Amino acid sequence: MLKLPLIKLEMNDRRRINGPPGGTRPAVFASHLESSSAADRARRERQPTELRKIFLKTGLIPSASGSSYLEFQPSASLAAARETPKSLIPPSSALKLACTVHGPKPLPRSAAFSPNLVLTTHVKYAPFAARKRKGHIRDASERDLGVHLETALRGAIIAERWPKSGIDLTITILEAEDDRWWADAPDSHDASWGMMNVLAGCITAASAAIADAHIDCLDLVAGGVAALVSDDSGDSSTTSPRLMLDTDPAEHRSIMSACVVAYMPARDEITELWLKGDSSKAALENGDARSAHEALIDGAVDAARGAYSVLGDALRESVLQTIQS
Amino acid sequence: MTTTLPPVAIPGQCLGSVAMYSAGPGTHIQQSNIYASIAGPVVADPAQPKTGTKSTLRVSRVVPATIRAASAANQKQRYNTLPAVDSIVLARVTRVQKRQATVSILVVLDDASQDPSQNASDNDNVASILTSAANPENHNSTDELRFQALIRKEDVRAVEKDRVVMEDMFRVGDIVRGSVISQGDQSFYYLTTARNDLGIVMARSDAGNMMFPVSWKEMRDPVTGAGEPRKVARPY
Amino acid sequence: MTSPATAAPSVPPSLSLPPSQFARLQPHAYLLAHLSPPPAMNQPSVRANGRAASQFRVTSANAGSLTHTNGSAVVRIGDTAAVCGVRAELLHTEDIASWSVSQSSSATNQSNEAGGQGTDAENEVDRAQIEDLNLLVPNLSLSTGCAPGFIPSAPPSALAQSLSHQILSLLHSTRLVKADDLRVWYQPPNLEHIENEMDVDGGSENRHPREIKAFWVLYIDIMIISLAGNAFDAAWASVLAALRDTKLPKAWWDVDNETILCSEDINEAHKLSLRGMPIASSFCVFEADAAAGWRAVVIPDAEEQNAEKQKKKGPQSRWILADPDGYEEGLTMEKACVVVDKENGKTVILKMEKLGGWTIDTEDLRQLVDISAQRWDEMKQILG
Repeated sequence: MLKLPLIKLEMNDRRRINGPPGGTRPAVFASHLESSSAADRARRERQPTELRKIFLKTGLIPSASGSSYLEFQPSASLAAARETPKSLIPPSSALKLACTVHGPKPLPRSAAFSPNLVLTTHVKYAPFAARKRKGHIRDASERDLGVHLETALRGAIIAERWPKSGIDLTITILEAEDDRWWADAPDSHDASWGMMNVLAGCITAASAAIADAHIDCLDLVAGGVAALVSDDSGDSSTTSPRLMLDTDPAEHRSIMSACVVAYMPARDEITELWLKGDSSKAALENGDARSAHEALIDGAVDAARGAYSVLGDALRESVLQTIQS
Repeated sequence: MTTTLPPVAIPGQCLGSVAMYSAGPGTHIQQSNIYASIAGPVVADPAQPKTGTKSTLRVSRVVPATIRAASAANQKQRYNTLPAVDSIVLARVTRVQKRQATVSILVVLDDASQDPSQNASDNDNVASILTSAANPENHNSTDELRFQALIRKEDVRAVEKDRVVMEDMFRVGDIVRGSVISQGDQSFYYLTTARNDLGIVMARSDAGNMMFPVSWKEMRDPVTGAGEPRKVARPY
Repeated sequence: MTSPATAAPSVPPSLSLPPSQFARLQPHAYLLAHLSPPPAMNQPSVRANGRAASQFRVTSANAGSLTHTNGSAVVRIGDTAAVCGVRAELLHTEDIASWSVSQSSSATNQSNEAGGQGTDAENEVDRAQIEDLNLLVPNLSLSTGCAPGFIPSAPPSALAQSLSHQILSLLHSTRLVKADDLRVWYQPPNLEHIENEMDVDGGSENRHPREIKAFWVLYIDIMIISLAGNAFDAAWASVLAALRDTKLPKAWWDVDNETILCSEDINEAHKLSLRGMPIASSFCVFEADAAAGWRAVVIPDAEEQNAEKQKKKGPQSRWILADPDGYEEGLTMEKACVVVDKENGKTVILKMEKLGGWTIDTEDLRQLVDISAQRWDEMKQILG
């Protein structure tokens, strides 16, 4: 019974260089074992509605018809840790990804006739992208991201302008975001919060790469994240969770609920919405009559508008560059 | 009356009202307004006074050196860079059978115009071509990235159609200029070479030398002097 | 850029294509026209990309920018970009099926006796441990959208597999990483001494031998983010730069937990002490043959002059191109790779490989070594 998966693994791995057959173990830090209070938790130093800066550039990969590279600004704690390195354990991480578009090209022989453009999306983490080493083969979460990304973009593309052809959109995540602060014990509020930030970045970068490839679109699509967080650190002044835009999960003790949207600003339309966690019990601050999930969606849209301004600037700049050259 | 147009647009950017302009390539209409659908320089092709049409707004795919607003009006407008009916294409012959030849489309030229500066699309940037492998003669995988087309026996030439022998028209590796007659099915476009200006434009002889055309049906090897039959495109 | 071939006066009209179309339709002739312009044009021989034959592309390296790695680097050679991340994990000797205490203590004695100077026996243990225990695990991925034709969800392509193996074998043959940097030692306490509480310094002969409790395994993953030819040089440079950036935490055997624990203190961590700085330089050979006849078509008048000239000087019928771009790689069969290092100003050849043809001779190889030695100086500046 046990032999079957083992054989399969071996067959998969024949095309790769394998480590020790008995496997290896990640490093365990002594300070982590002793007490979790040893290190200071990463703290959000931005205002609740203040977004991290985004670095976005298109056209860096000339063999692709369109490409983009996106980076989130490191959090205050990560920037400090880089400035004066003390610990080998990074306090948080900041998204870095590369996106390419190949095509329009013929559909595979086996595919049926399509009068429209067929979009295929792939998202893959580099093995070193996250705190835990990722495998070489796409896992469920990576497939999931691909599907979410495809729905986010499909609605924006004017597919009938490119009959019987396809584009392949590929994203390589070089650095992902954490799902929670590394020293926090897993708890009931846990979810893959970092993945929502990754999706938001993927959406913005993918829209940039598609525009760089000159594929007709109704509008640009920008990704944004908002979350309801409760950081009750004992002094219990406010028990109601607070709405934060562009949350870095490493900076919060507990995320109740989070939402990522793909948003077309010029048309004010949401092409993809993904809301996780329980927002039903949350009561917002005084004077806010919205329900919690409405506030979350509004917040995510605001975050997406911020990403949109970066996206628009990057594309204008790249057009102006080609004109001048 | 004319509002100023932005020099550069990004997808989703509103460019003007349909009351003032008609929508050209690189744009789309949404609730009586024209929006950009690609990123690029905005071009307003002037109105045609005779026909009383409105001026046409488009977003160009190419760099301004090749934007020529005035001459574009009498040209068919192209919404993409794919082969379309009446497109002139340059293709490499990949297979010759009794009833048809299979070709792999390398370049889509703009319709009618043979002016080289006119047909640059964003795939025709030399710097980007140089990044990737280009050895079509022994690279099978690249053919999967190119659009495939068929030239049927009856579409090879206009005269003596029934006496066409495909092996005397095309050989594998030849470069052929053809015109698209149909979008075809899921895997192939259909091309014709039944015009004087269409047919083989580059071919190597059996000895491997580049041949030159000597008539509408023969090319010759300059080294060996041997002639070979082909459906030759008229050089001009 | 004006293509010499399209500008040639006697080109038959059907061939007067814009450079981009010429490049696509007749790649071989296009490259040849640049390398061997018609004598009438009075132009120097350059590659289609504007470089001289022995010229490498602009190269940059940036280390240490990836958060979740022990070491990382991004290397760009022209439009080819490689990102390398090194992640260290622990291989406990108890997890090694073939491990025996004698192995660990023999290593102890040798490394103690040798005092860092490489004896043959120590080198052999070094090699055996790194290679047999698979302590270095490089994998290169092209499934990143780096070029058209690599399907992202497919298993590694033949090229990716071959590059991974080339990197592994170069890591092994250059012995770049020292096994001792990867060993986690444990010194068992001498219980007798504690019981008797006497003669604390005296018992060096009685001490239990140090033993290896674990090895660091370095997972070296290379993502080719943009591929425009010569992936190997970029990948190898990124591996080298990432290993130079790699820090391993201080690690020890914790008796109470019966496991290896690490210190997060960056001041206690150690960098790898690499053996030298091997730099790879790749070349390809472009041959004129395939298009010789074509040139006769282009300049029929010049043919005779040409023939005379050729008798005098001998025609240049092949070019050895350094750091080929993707286009050039697609047009050439014969390739060569030279890996050199410099010790006290002396060039040491660590690897020399040529395959796919027979035109490179000994004299050529000597020249390639010279070019590779110059490239080493250039790369030393870039890698810092």
